Amino acid sequence: MQRNILLFSFLFVPVLLLLMFVLYPLFELIRLSFTDWNGMDAKQVYIGFDNYMKMFTDSSDVWLSLRNNGFYFLFHLIMIPLELAVAVVLDSKIRANKFFKTVVFMPYIINGVAISYMFAFFYSPINGGLNGILEVLGLESLIQNWLTDESIVNLSLVFVSIWRFSGFHIILFLAGLQSIPQDQFEAAKIDGASSIQNFWYIIVPGVKKVLEVLLFLNVVGALQVFDIPYIMTQGGPGHASSTFTLYTLETAFKFNNFGMASAMGITMLVLIIVLNSVQKRLFNLKGVDEE
Amino acid sequence: MTPRLGVAVKKLAVYVILIAICLMIFIPLLITLFASFKTSMEIGSEFSLKPPGSFDFDNYSVVLEKGKFLQGFGNSMFLVAVSVVINALLGTMTAYAINRFDFRLKKIILGLFVAGMIMPGMITEISRFTVIKNLGLYNTIWAPIVIYAAANLVQLYIYTQFINGIPKELDESAMLDGCSYFAVFNKMIFPLLLPATATLGIIKAVDVMNDMYVPYLYMPSSTLRTLTTTLMYFSSSKFGSWDYLSAAIILVMLPTLVIYLLFSKYIFKGIVAGAVKG
Repeated sequence: MQRNILLFSFLFVPVLLLLMFVLYPLFELIRLSFTDWNGMDAKQVYIGFDNYMKMFTDSSDVWLSLRNNGFYFLFHLIMIPLELAVAVVLDSKIRANKFFKTVVFMPYIINGVAISYMFAFFYSPINGGLNGILEVLGLESLIQNWLTDESIVNLSLVFVSIWRFSGFHIILFLAGLQSIPQDQFEAAKIDGASSIQNFWYIIVPGVKKVLEVLLFLNVVGALQVFDIPYIMTQGGPGHASSTFTLYTLETAFKFNNFGMASAMGITMLVLIIVLNSVQKRLFNLKGVDEE
Repeated sequence: MTPRLGVAVKKLAVYVILIAICLMIFIPLLITLFASFKTSMEIGSEFSLKPPGSFDFDNYSVVLEKGKFLQGFGNSMFLVAVSVVINALLGTMTAYAINRFDFRLKKIILGLFVAGMIMPGMITEISRFTVIKNLGLYNTIWAPIVIYAAANLVQLYIYTQFINGIPKELDESAMLDGCSYFAVFNKMIFPLLLPATATLGIIKAVDVMNDMYVPYLYMPSSTLRTLTTTLMYFSSSKFGSWDYLSAAIILVMLPTLVIYLLFSKYIFKGIVAGAVKG
């Protein structure tokens, strides 16, 4: 009896909150994706799969935005081996490694909106920091309109994202490295293993779990990129630096097309699940011989 | 090249790379910090990495007065305090109930929490918006609070890990001494979880301080702006030139940076515990 009272009183509030603010909205999102609701009228007409059809056939900006998400995904993916390398270095007995760890992780803690404005200033064409530095280095030929040139704006934004999140990945790798038992390295040393062999046969399998988490976070993160482009370029010029989330929220709250936006939201959820399971399968295929 | 020289060269290369990384992190921050002490004339004419001629806080006082950054700071602190307390309570209670008891709905409840974790947060705002509006929470400070309290599986996961480390025999002997389940939780479990709570509380505090979209969407009222949304408003208003804006950026970065530098050990711990074992 006392047990049931406890279970009820301890779980009621958390579960209620979860149902009201997480799960009910999910089901609402699915339902709304089949309507033409504009967010205000009481009237919601069910229109079947029209929103989904329209999204895939009639909206080139959706594809453009998705391609931009692809940029974030790709570049963060390329960074992963480099981040692992830095983590290995920081894990070794180098001087001041605590200082380096603290500095490397710092960007992840800083307010994302502040970072975005900071880089808007850094990239600014009039006396911006980056162009100023290029000038001092005698590299005037590299000076660009970092945020208004369609061909380069996404790279500029991806760099901000890497600046912000790489340290977080490095710290995760460090945690993985510290969980590798030291005697494996000692045994390898006795067998005369080179540092490259150490890397492939001890370190990479040792951080497999972290790699898996990172690959998942990369899919979710890349698909959800929002605040950096929203603050720095509002998705512009045109929709050149828009992302899927930015476009979705614009569709809902700027153009009052909640039905369409819901369909996009559900599409993102499906994309996250599909991409992640594909990635996991590929990862495990490759990982079999390492076990 | 002798082997020893080779090692030295390698070491040197490692430091060069690490210092280059640090420079990449510091340069944009330094430029902004320097600009926050310069006049807009100086920003326009001087090299951005040239330190300011004098450290006068004119830009800061303008930002603090006209931008209402103190009000934003107050609102942020209120949100942080309430969210951290609610999270500590709900988190420990849920973890205790789920870890120490077997009951019929346990699997379903755990499943609900996992489902909540996979949901892409921002996207659900489209439908959550109506829920908040219908409950009358729109444009009140309670909207972010219920949302921050709602789903936090990572936290639940870490708490469960920590509870697992507390031997069940302790519970049982306390019960033999006449403690009720509630007393076991109050007198033993909750205090023993305090180290975990400290770590999670700091991480939660940083998250809430830095969150942009929930306050931006649900609290448009000018008196409810948080530090982050104050910055957004300030930058789009007529004060938004780089001299003032730089000072505003630094002001917004400062609280979380201070938290970080004071507690980085605990922040590392929590993030590591949340991600690696998950």
